[in-house]
Amino acid sequence: MISDFISSFITEFTDLMDYVGILMPTLLAGAWVMVQLFCWTLLLSLPLGLPIALGSNVRFWPIRAFCRFYVFVFRGTPLLLQLYFFYFLLPIQFDIRLPALTTSIITFVLNYAAYFAEIYRGGINGIDRGQYEAAKALGLSKMQTMVGIVLPQTMKIILPPVSNEAIVLVKDTALASAIGLGELMKASKGAVNRDVDPTAYFVVAVIYLMFTFILTLASNRLEKRFKRYDERAVS
Amino acid sequence: MAGKKASGSAVVRHELKENLQAGDTILEMKNIVKKFDGVTAVDGVSFSMKKGEIVAIIGPSGSGKSTLLRSINGLENITDGEIDLYGTTGMVFQHFNLFPHMTCLGNITYAPIKVNGVKKADIEKRAEELLELVGLVDKRDVYPGQISGGQKQRIAIARALAMDPDLMLFDEPTSALDPEITGTVLSVMQKLAEQDMSMIIVTHEMQFARNVADRVLFMNKGKIVEEGTPEEIFGNPKSERLRDFLKAVTSR
Ligand SMILES: Nc1ncnc2c1ncn2[C@@H]1O[C@H](COP(=O)(O)OP(=O)(O)O)[C@@H](O)[C@H]1O
Ligand SMILES: [Mg+2]
Repeated sequence: MISDFISSFITEFTDLMDYVGILMPTLLAGAWVMVQLFCWTLLLSLPLGLPIALGSNVRFWPIRAFCRFYVFVFRGTPLLLQLYFFYFLLPIQFDIRLPALTTSIITFVLNYAAYFAEIYRGGINGIDRGQYEAAKALGLSKMQTMVGIVLPQTMKIILPPVSNEAIVLVKDTALASAIGLGELMKASKGAVNRDVDPTAYFVVAVIYLMFTFILTLASNRLEKRFKRYDERAVS
Repeated sequence: MAGKKASGSAVVRHELKENLQAGDTILEMKNIVKKFDGVTAVDGVSFSMKKGEIVAIIGPSGSGKSTLLRSINGLENITDGEIDLYGTTGMVFQHFNLFPHMTCLGNITYAPIKVNGVKKADIEKRAEELLELVGLVDKRDVYPGQISGGQKQRIAIARALAMDPDLMLFDEPTSALDPEITGTVLSVMQKLAEQDMSMIIVTHEMQFARNVADRVLFMNKGKIVEEGTPEEIFGNPKSERLRDFLKAVTSR
């Protein structure tokens, strides 16, 4: 009896593993597309957010207005809508035909830069006025103050929200399937519809979890590095 | 050598690097007015000081002491008046304002390297002398977050001194400190006084002002109400307002 159960379990398990093995090449290809979208988006939107954040605080109002409007629009509309918009706008209005991956990267970069800009701006505004005053009293220029005093301290403040956004980005990449990008989500959906078997969704869930887990570990390590000058003593 | 006068404006700041002799005027303030939309923080203050002089500014809170001090190094833009400053300033703040992401050594050396282009090795040698002066050689490679308030303020003094200022401005340097450790900071300032550093000290430490200052200014409501030697100010206050103020601070 028990041995029957065990042997049937083993058969089912090996069947399952065989099926997963068959799925794997498709899913890994999807994962690779997802990783590309993720990395390009981070690589480009992290720096792009900085000029937008700084621009949101400048005295010259046209620049300030532009940067704030940019953030308003890209944070205030769904990413999915932005994807559709660029997917149709570029070929129809400008006759630019781009692969789905490129269109996705452009959209994601523009969108995430808006989020990062807001995080940076919050971080910069969180720096005590006394830091600027001390820098000015020492004769440091505005540029030197920003680069040497303000931004390094901002890093520590923005690290948690930035890593949080990175984790959100892992999941947001799934949206690009809507414009036909063959990333993880699309790959798994194809397999599920074809085989009428939800196994692919489980496998994909595990892959997503692996990515977010790795990111969580990485961000914890980074945070620890920036903690070294934490206030520990009382004045 | 006189600085250029900005045409049409009464606000003039000279920052002239000169080889001043003791006794030369280092700072002259003429009719300084500073308004913050509606509030007049400084209301027509004039005074001048000589190189090597130590001026203490006392007065109730809100009387414009900080604003006056901060207008000297440009942290506040004055509304009206004229400031003639012959040399450079260094400033020490009530809340230290050390750079938390740099070690104590980094705090001291950063501005000289960036602003004056001093070589790292040279300024580090100088920084060690300054750490010696403030008695914190052992805190050289420690971050500000790991030292006490009194130690922070002494590092802040060393940081300001590293720029070789001609005039040191202190804005209530001991007000944020526990009473039992103010002495460590005051004794560093005492040392500077003995080295003939020109200083303006906004302070509530009346005993200290009495001991080190050459001259004491009493401010109230944006104006200098009384001015004199420590003996005159503390020993023989003339105005009612100063008498009341001294009574209030000494009875605390
Ligand atoms: N940045 C500012 N904005 C508006 N009002 C200010 C500002 N700084 C100072 N004041 C006002 O100016 C007056 C003098 O302030 P302050 O110079 O700090 O006095 P003190 O240092 O003698 O306590 C106060 O009424 C204060 O509220
Ligand atoms: Mg004050």
